[in-house]
Amino acid sequence: MKNFIELLRNEWNSYSKNTQIALYVLFGLSALFVIFAIQILFWGLGYTDMNNNFAMGLWIIGDLGLVALGGGAFFTGFLLYILRVDKLNPLINSTVLLGFMCYLFTFILLVFDIGQPLRAWFGYAYPNWGPGLLPISMLTEVVWCLTLYFCVLCVELIPIPLKHKIMDNIPFFRYFGHYLHKLMWIMAAVGTFLSFFHQGSLGGGMWGVLYGKPVWFRPHYFFLAIVAATAGGTAFMMLIPKIAGKIMKKEVAPKETFMTLARISGVMFVFYLIFRLYDLYSLTVKYVPLADRSYADILGGYYGWWVVIAELLLCLVPIVVFNVAKLREREKYYMAGLIAGVSAISMSKVEAVLHGFSVPNFPWKGFTVYNPTIQEWFIFLGSLAIMTLVYMWFARYLPLFPHLHKGGHGDNKAHT
Amino acid sequence: MSGQEAPKKKVSDMKRLWGMSIDLDKCTGCGACQVACSQENNMPIFEDDSDLPKRVVFLDLMKVTNEMDKGAKFGDVKVAYLPKMCMQCAGNDPDNPYPPCVSVCPVVATDIGDDGVVSQIWSRCIGCRYCQASCPYEARVFHWWKPVYEGSFKEGLNPDVSVSSRGAVVKCTFCSHIWKRERDRMIAKGITDINAVQYTPSCVSSCPTGAMKFGDLKDPRSPVYEEKLRRDPRAVRLVHSIDELRDTNPAEYDRRMKIKQFPNPKVWYLTGSEWLRKKLSVFEKS
Amino acid sequence: MEKLERREVIMMAGGALAGATVGTLFSGAPFLGLQWLVEWTQDQFVPAPGEEKYLQGRCLLCPSACALLVRMIGNRAVKVETANTGCYKPQLAIQMLYHPERIKNPLKRIGKKGSGKFAPVSWEEAIKDIAAKIDGLRSSGNATRIAAVSGSAAFASGEILKRLVRASGSPNVYSEPCLNTLSAAATRLTQGQSGSIYYDFENADFILSFGARLVEGWGDPGRMNKALVGWKERKARYVQIDTACTRSASMADRWVPVNAGTETVLALGIANQLIAMGRRSGGANFAQWSQIVINDYAPERVAEITGVGVDAIREIAREFASARNPIAVAGRGASAVSSSTVEFAAVQALNSLAGSLGRRGGVLLVDYAGLGEVAVNAAGARGLDDFIKNGAADLIFINEANPVHRSVYGKAFAEKLKKDTMVVALLPLLNDSAAYADYVLPTISPIEGEPVGPRFRAMHPVDALLAIAKAVKGLESAFPWTGRKDVFSLIGRQNVKAAGNFTFPVELFKAYLAEFSKKIGDKNYPLALLPIEAPMVGDGDGLALPYVLKGLDSVTLTGAKLWVMMNPETAKREGVSEGSRIDIESARGEIGSVKVHITKTIAPGAVAIPIGFGHEFYTRYAEDKGVNAKEIMSDDIDPISGAADWWFTRVKIS
Repeated sequence: MKNFIELLRNEWNSYSKNTQIALYVLFGLSALFVIFAIQILFWGLGYTDMNNNFAMGLWIIGDLGLVALGGGAFFTGFLLYILRVDKLNPLINSTVLLGFMCYLFTFILLVFDIGQPLRAWFGYAYPNWGPGLLPISMLTEVVWCLTLYFCVLCVELIPIPLKHKIMDNIPFFRYFGHYLHKLMWIMAAVGTFLSFFHQGSLGGGMWGVLYGKPVWFRPHYFFLAIVAATAGGTAFMMLIPKIAGKIMKKEVAPKETFMTLARISGVMFVFYLIFRLYDLYSLTVKYVPLADRSYADILGGYYGWWVVIAELLLCLVPIVVFNVAKLREREKYYMAGLIAGVSAISMSKVEAVLHGFSVPNFPWKGFTVYNPTIQEWFIFLGSLAIMTLVYMWFARYLPLFPHLHKGGHGDNKAHT
Repeated sequence: MSGQEAPKKKVSDMKRLWGMSIDLDKCTGCGACQVACSQENNMPIFEDDSDLPKRVVFLDLMKVTNEMDKGAKFGDVKVAYLPKMCMQCAGNDPDNPYPPCVSVCPVVATDIGDDGVVSQIWSRCIGCRYCQASCPYEARVFHWWKPVYEGSFKEGLNPDVSVSSRGAVVKCTFCSHIWKRERDRMIAKGITDINAVQYTPSCVSSCPTGAMKFGDLKDPRSPVYEEKLRRDPRAVRLVHSIDELRDTNPAEYDRRMKIKQFPNPKVWYLTGSEWLRKKLSVFEKS
Repeated sequence: MEKLERREVIMMAGGALAGATVGTLFSGAPFLGLQWLVEWTQDQFVPAPGEEKYLQGRCLLCPSACALLVRMIGNRAVKVETANTGCYKPQLAIQMLYHPERIKNPLKRIGKKGSGKFAPVSWEEAIKDIAAKIDGLRSSGNATRIAAVSGSAAFASGEILKRLVRASGSPNVYSEPCLNTLSAAATRLTQGQSGSIYYDFENADFILSFGARLVEGWGDPGRMNKALVGWKERKARYVQIDTACTRSASMADRWVPVNAGTETVLALGIANQLIAMGRRSGGANFAQWSQIVINDYAPERVAEITGVGVDAIREIAREFASARNPIAVAGRGASAVSSSTVEFAAVQALNSLAGSLGRRGGVLLVDYAGLGEVAVNAAGARGLDDFIKNGAADLIFINEANPVHRSVYGKAFAEKLKKDTMVVALLPLLNDSAAYADYVLPTISPIEGEPVGPRFRAMHPVDALLAIAKAVKGLESAFPWTGRKDVFSLIGRQNVKAAGNFTFPVELFKAYLAEFSKKIGDKNYPLALLPIEAPMVGDGDGLALPYVLKGLDSVTLTGAKLWVMMNPETAKREGVSEGSRIDIESARGEIGSVKVHITKTIAPGAVAIPIGFGHEFYTRYAEDKGVNAKEIMSDDIDPISGAADWWFTRVKIS
């Protein structure tokens, strides 16, 4: 016991001052997460600023964001295992871990968000499948796809800890890890399929069931959400390792891996922008007028015009940076492109949830505002903190970046 | 939710499609319907229930004015009260005629019966609130806090309506527990043809001016016979101008009646005031 | 038996464990357990079942006595069915019946007066003590120092209390001002008769309302609801003169917006036009009165004061004159009515000019059958507010009333009650006035006793007062009845009768109008304070009932903050915006911290404030919510009715 404490102390002292401060903050946020989690789970959602008009809030924005960004995992897996873009291999472990955590915390935030967490299993026990093969409720479908894809991600994640030098010395685990790896392309295919499905459903468009509200309904939303996930997700899958590399002062993956993914992401952002513009156009001329309203009118309020314009402007950054070789090679522009890309997709989710709910349903009502309470903020930020801690732990103790081990252990001559 | 427990054959000749009409020209906004509804449906009782967006009521007495209209000034403005409950949408999609809320529920806590009533099973609901998000009429409410019935207020609770727990979505069901009760009572007497004389929701039976009418939309003798309502120039349905198009633009009307965006409510509002018809049925730039 | 290897034992144990786990999972037990956990953790309340039956009864909240059914589950009343008659009030009966703060026993004060601290006593003890007090006052020749205040809805108990006090030898019997009492005072003055004004709404074809919010609970709401439907069917024309865009104004065929407090002047302006059209009244003093009207109230001047255009005044006068059965209605407000006698007279003058007085489809008088008058040889104060201001008493009965909250002299009344006076309150819930009582006698709620059995040891106020009367020495002959049933059969019947000759109270007019011009020109207080009534809250009684609170909109009460309403023009001039916190000050004082809602439904130059809020004692649901606007409202006592006309108050905001 004493030795163990001694070990921990030594470990802690080996961290730099900045790392220690960061860890203090992250552990603090995690502790607040636990405290407020107890409050919300035991005394209910009255402590949030959500209400009958603003039925969903920060946590659902988080959910949609995490699913869209975590969706980068399925797309990267798809590129690597199905399309055989082997250059992406050095990033795949990090990608799988990010996907895993995004999905895990999607579940966790969903459990907070539903009023009856103890009944969460009803989604499996009484799914709203309807008479046909396909489920009627996209939430049913999201729950199932999310669960299954989460299982897939678990399978994809297991080989990473198994590669750790201690585990790797046990023959059973080595073979187990090896065969899991062989299965990976099937996993990638299944994951792609599942993720593909629920990306769209979360957008509310899969079967066009969210038809009562003009802010949300358009039949193509399904595809728009998928394109968003491929564009924003890939940017996210580059951003996090890049930040990790900056902090560790190491090159976590070869530059050409990043550049390959950046080129793909850039193309997806072009698709996304075109699609989004078409989306806005179709809302204006077709779908919103069907509900006796004008889109220009709907776009008012506190989260209207500026969010959409910000989203479109942010989209332009990765499009320009990622598609112009000279720009994407420059580290600063490249980082700006990544941050803008991730923000653009997050912004689109903010638009969907915040703006969607703030739009009045009746002509005699005005736009509404939503101010998340501290409970909502800390559960949200605490989730992000825990995700960060887990990622940090993986990066330090497990072979998250195989490139580091191949390329002669911490070759910090990487470009900066 | 209806007609499933009683033997099918016996109830077959009481097939009804319930609907409601509310004559706003007769509505004084007295609040009787709202209190009657709260009493019948065991609405929770809080010391301070002034947080309106989190308030649990099935029937919301909304105050509507035209003061935000362009050029409105004191002297021209009008107010009206709008008893607004669940519109019991029928859905309009020819392939998938479901109310917006029913199709989003992940756990089949809500469904539409063949009597047209959109049901909600409190104890099945997981509280995801997707139905609230999908409802364009703000008809569904969520128990943000634990429902409290202080002290002896419990004595007045109606055993026909189960008390919901915190964290579940609840809604108006046209008091369908009364429908079941009266139906069973009639069947026991051997009467299999019941109409709105025996069954009226609590709000309708409490309305002192008779502004609210209830009945079978398909029955020509009913006060809410749908064919008649469709032709009534005073009739509008909330938030859609579709009923106006019927006369002004029949082609567009036919087209819209085949698309899914219109939830097709079974609650009709009647008013002869032009401003109110406009306000209820269409959004205008304010 | 072979020896088991350690390895095999582990394998077997593991297998058993795995099997048990899978089995348990598939049995569904964990899920049932979770479901049970849901119920247990949330402590969901299940209403007790019981045999269902319906009890027939009558709503005794007003003389209409609408039939109703009470749905019973076992011995619990769960619903009142009204079958599309009456008004909203019976729907609230269950809330009152099962209110957790109902008074269970007769209470005797133990703390300081006004502290609201009481201890239970027996009925016998309470009645003995009260009767002894009456005996004492009577034997010492101070019988006139007994006073009684009844609420406007206390019919039978009001009659009994009146008889008790008068038979004891005191004239000091008061009712909280309401349409009946105010119009009765006006009738006494202008027509020399007893009885309140009875508008024949059922047969009139042109209804001109001077700020009377006819469809929002005014008068007898059950009757008004029916009348409204009748007007729509008969195509009777309804014109509402109102200072705010109320539901009455919107439901009317025409809304005539008018400056606050100027209804009387508008009536004179319309009279001016009627006279110009050649209409004459046979009433006494018509000549003098018409001189005032012709000289001082030409349409141009009236338009300037009231804000109603000259054309509109002419048009209304023309329509009024040409209708077959026109009636002009006075008595501003919905459930809280406040009007001066002059205003009643000015409006009745229009009825007189149109020939509507005393005829079918016009304006009649009504009496309610009572228990007969008892002669008293002493003069009392004129009305409740007059009594509070000038009167004195050693024993005060408060019967289903709340003058401490409702009267503009509430604070003064509380001071009076605090003095060495015995105060007896008869109420189902402790309210602001009862907090000052020495004895609080629990009375039953509207549907209790009949048809639902009474709760606790509460009594019908008639029975309680009869018991007191019987305990007083020498009053036996005045109270030959055994219980409320005997009394009910005698009282409440409406007796509609033709109105007598009309007399124009010219001097009163002159005095009123002189005072009015002074008031309206007050530069220190540039705004008018408009009382408005939230649905079902009425003049404050409804607030104790949570389902009433559920009906309030988002700009009436938020938390404990009350909202007032202002026209955008006024708000701009005063420099306030939506949600600003303001204080309102009148010549009488200041009420603090209300929020501003900006709306075009309120006239420029006015602040509209909901009344009935700001209770100090009235159950946890009503206490400390908002402010009581009556505290700063105008306290000019009408010389005839003795009630303060608080409707029109000049204020400033800060």
